[in-house]
Amino acid sequence: MGSVSLTINGKTISCSSEESLLDVADKHGFLIPRLCHHPELHPYGACRICIVEEEKSGRVMAACVTPANQGMIIQTASERVLRHRRNIVRLMMAEHPESCVVCNKGNRCRLRQIAAQLGVAETRLYPMPNFTMPEPLNAFITRDLSKCILCGKCIRADHELVSVGAIDYNLRGFHSRPSVLLDRGLEDSDCTFCGTCLSMCPTGALSATYPAYAGTPMKESNTICGFCGVGCTLSAGIVDGQIVEINPSNHHGTVNGATLCVRGHFAHDFLNSENRLVHPLARSNGKLEPVAWNVAIENAVQSLRSVKNTHGPQSLAFLGSSKCTNEENYLFQKLARTIYETGNIDNGGFLFGRSLVRAFERRIGAGPKQMKDILDAEAILVIGADVCQSAPVFSYHIKKAANKGVPIVVIDPAPTSLSDRALWLPVGIGSDTWLIYALIKVLILHNNLTGQSGDYHEVFKGNLAKFNLNGLIKTAGIDESLVIKAANVLKHKKISFVVGRGVLLQQEAQRVLDALLNLALLTGSISGKASGFYFPTYENNAAGADDMGACPDGLPGAMALTDEKSRRHWEKAWKVRLSPDNGLDMEQMIAAAENGTIKAMYIMGENPLRSMPDPLRVKKALEKLEFLVVQDILLTETAGMAHLVLPGAAACEKAGSFTNMEGRIQVFSQTVSPPAMARPDWEILDEILAKASNGNRYKTVEHVSLEICRFTDLYSASDRRNYKPFRQTAVNPDPILFSPVTFPEVPDSKDCKVLIGSLRYHSGGGTRTGFSKRIQATRLTHGAVLSPAYAKDLKLNEGDSVRIKSPAGTIEREISFNHKMPSGRIWIASGSFNNDVMHLLKLDRQSGRSCSVQIEKI
Amino acid sequence: MHPEAADPDKLAPIIEKHLTNKWALIPLLQEVQEVFGYVPPEFLKPIADALGLYSAQVQGVVTFYAGFSLKPKGKYVLRCCRGTACHVKGSRSILRMMQNELGLDEGQTSQDYQFTLETVACLGACFLAPTMMVNHDYYGKLTPKKVLSVLDQYKKDSPG
Repeated sequence: MGSVSLTINGKTISCSSEESLLDVADKHGFLIPRLCHHPELHPYGACRICIVEEEKSGRVMAACVTPANQGMIIQTASERVLRHRRNIVRLMMAEHPESCVVCNKGNRCRLRQIAAQLGVAETRLYPMPNFTMPEPLNAFITRDLSKCILCGKCIRADHELVSVGAIDYNLRGFHSRPSVLLDRGLEDSDCTFCGTCLSMCPTGALSATYPAYAGTPMKESNTICGFCGVGCTLSAGIVDGQIVEINPSNHHGTVNGATLCVRGHFAHDFLNSENRLVHPLARSNGKLEPVAWNVAIENAVQSLRSVKNTHGPQSLAFLGSSKCTNEENYLFQKLARTIYETGNIDNGGFLFGRSLVRAFERRIGAGPKQMKDILDAEAILVIGADVCQSAPVFSYHIKKAANKGVPIVVIDPAPTSLSDRALWLPVGIGSDTWLIYALIKVLILHNNLTGQSGDYHEVFKGNLAKFNLNGLIKTAGIDESLVIKAANVLKHKKISFVVGRGVLLQQEAQRVLDALLNLALLTGSISGKASGFYFPTYENNAAGADDMGACPDGLPGAMALTDEKSRRHWEKAWKVRLSPDNGLDMEQMIAAAENGTIKAMYIMGENPLRSMPDPLRVKKALEKLEFLVVQDILLTETAGMAHLVLPGAAACEKAGSFTNMEGRIQVFSQTVSPPAMARPDWEILDEILAKASNGNRYKTVEHVSLEICRFTDLYSASDRRNYKPFRQTAVNPDPILFSPVTFPEVPDSKDCKVLIGSLRYHSGGGTRTGFSKRIQATRLTHGAVLSPAYAKDLKLNEGDSVRIKSPAGTIEREISFNHKMPSGRIWIASGSFNNDVMHLLKLDRQSGRSCSVQIEKI
Repeated sequence: MHPEAADPDKLAPIIEKHLTNKWALIPLLQEVQEVFGYVPPEFLKPIADALGLYSAQVQGVVTFYAGFSLKPKGKYVLRCCRGTACHVKGSRSILRMMQNELGLDEGQTSQDYQFTLETVACLGACFLAPTMMVNHDYYGKLTPKKVLSVLDQYKKDSPG
């Protein structure tokens, strides 16, 4: 890589010979128009708009694909260059339909902008519009290929950024257009509707279906996505105080770059749903009636106080939210711990196994890792995680790694969207522990480990020697050849582990984690940039809610409640006494409400009636409460049965910070006001705190974050006023020890088992996504998926309606086929049909995501 | 005659043969086209999977080149040259005559899969203008009479 010097428009510039002329010109402020170039994509040179002239040779060339060369004398806007550019634009316009007036791209259309800059109004060419009608075939993307200029951005984004490969150029010459396989609709292709192509498209060829507004939004403002734990930066288009569209932000260094997923891109239309809560509601004569804010706040404070005074502080429970901000969760748990003196605090992250992740991270002393580091992995082991569905933008990194040739092993009882590109081990349900030890055993047998050796290593080997490899493989329910193949893939490599809820929600999750930790120790994969553990979080601030102490076993700053030093720290900060006992978790709260020990609950931004197993039992338990206050943004099932409902704000309607699955602390400001009387949640909590304690209000969210910075090293930058970009990971000074080799009870594999997985169209239980018009309108099937062979055994055909019965409840579904599903298993997505699949599960400790069922045809 | 059935058992050895080549796609597709007379659309995905490409990419290559077809072609593919020299020598009438005689438009295949009628920009045999090709054979200096006799030669019930 050498340095060269060249002249652009008379200015002498020195730059690297690896840079393109376009990049060099950009850096020095010479703006060259472009259509096909995007900083996140490889240069392509399709549109030729960025042509520049080299004076010495007289050559005209595309700046985006021409490397800087020694001694070049470049003109970016000479008469000749402009004439050529105008001609290119004239030709494009001659092929373009005259429907700019009704085009949703409006003034953001790059073609229109460039035509305006170059003053091309009339083409004075014979118009040859390649006219086709717009095709609103699906609920997300509408295409009007007559507006396509063949820049290939959509295709390159699809291949390079999201690695789906649903589209490519089809046909040739005049007929050439981007197309899916066999020119079918996008919904019949591999397309995941991430909408990355749509945001990239320079013209109106791709646009959103059901646009809330036709044309250019008045304002664009950045915020953080409120769905999964990836934490993408969104650019919200705003018209009249309403968010009308979402695109990836064009800021550099964001988690998502130019990509998004279907939820982030399209499901935010739930913000304008008529089911939004717009004023406080209080129950009178059995009905929820609007009340004024001061009445509602007084009601909340007094009702909670009277329950505390009558039944004691342990009769109260506070359910914080893995969707609310760090500041809100901080205030929420502070309210619970200091004013109402209870440790019964949890958040919805519990439902995705966060308590185990907290303990695991404390044990290995390594915090979350950056997603992009997985590109440097030597090998990736994905276990119990369908990341393409649950955390799509994270999966783009994994797929990019796969494209680079990084081997991937997937351990999952059902095929995942990644299993096609990986070595998939279709493990028996609940048999992961045996499989991992079988893998370790094969690796040891062939002496294929890179981790440190030593005494512990030998002791561990000795412990494992007691178990017979064939026995392990048999119980794992898997072919021996697959285990050997997987061991071959992983041999001599450090491993990046991606551990999902398929593991975390198992009854015996701890043993699986122990086994994984042993494998990590043996392969030397605990730490380092290219190895370690990723736990995808399924909700935007599940990590932050835990860090802020909205959990039964922790205090803000991810401190353990049982640790006396930590307790003293917060006792001093808050000037209160804290009980060393862990509070109740989400499940225990419901059980305690059921048996009458919990009398009042404050639920913020959670909908347990939809997201928890056995909703009927949850409902009965909540009905027993003397007082239930629900603070939410939508009239959810849970809000519908509350005594008091406080309307809060969605992520983009307030300021604050979220901590994503990498531990990245992302501060954002308000983009629009909450609808009508609704208020940001931190403001509501601030007022309740002030009223209940007769203290002062924080008044701004910054004052809350100042307090968090003041008392937590985990989040505070050195100035004690701002957050760090990444939470600082707690270092565990003790050596990490091997776990004893233990196995759970052998799972029974005879019954027909249902596996509950996730689809990218819904986030968590689907409360918010369920209110999205576009998600409601998808005709994508959410049936019961099983293999055709197994269906034959059960005498079922594709499309049959069936009743699926478990000991806990019954649901109905249509049968759909997937050839890869192992026999004896039925896969059902959570989220859709009001998440009724939860009826199949029992509400007990780690009820998991699978159960035995019986199937009958209707 | 009916088009060759898209038998995946016949595809497997073709894929096997080309798998190790560096630029395998086009030679592989050429062989598929040769063996089956077309590239059966249901083969796009298995070919793509075997070569580590996206199916849409393979389709892009197939539809770009005139040498590949996703539709079954007739036993005899008639290519009428529409290049400049042939045009001057009256190839428009030759084409029209062939269309009438076969009852086919450009790009169409007869129902019995005997004939496919195509036009090409130039067959590179201008000295023989107007020309046509039937599969790999050239016919030049065409006259209406000669066209008829050529077509007759390839008709199903023709003894020749």
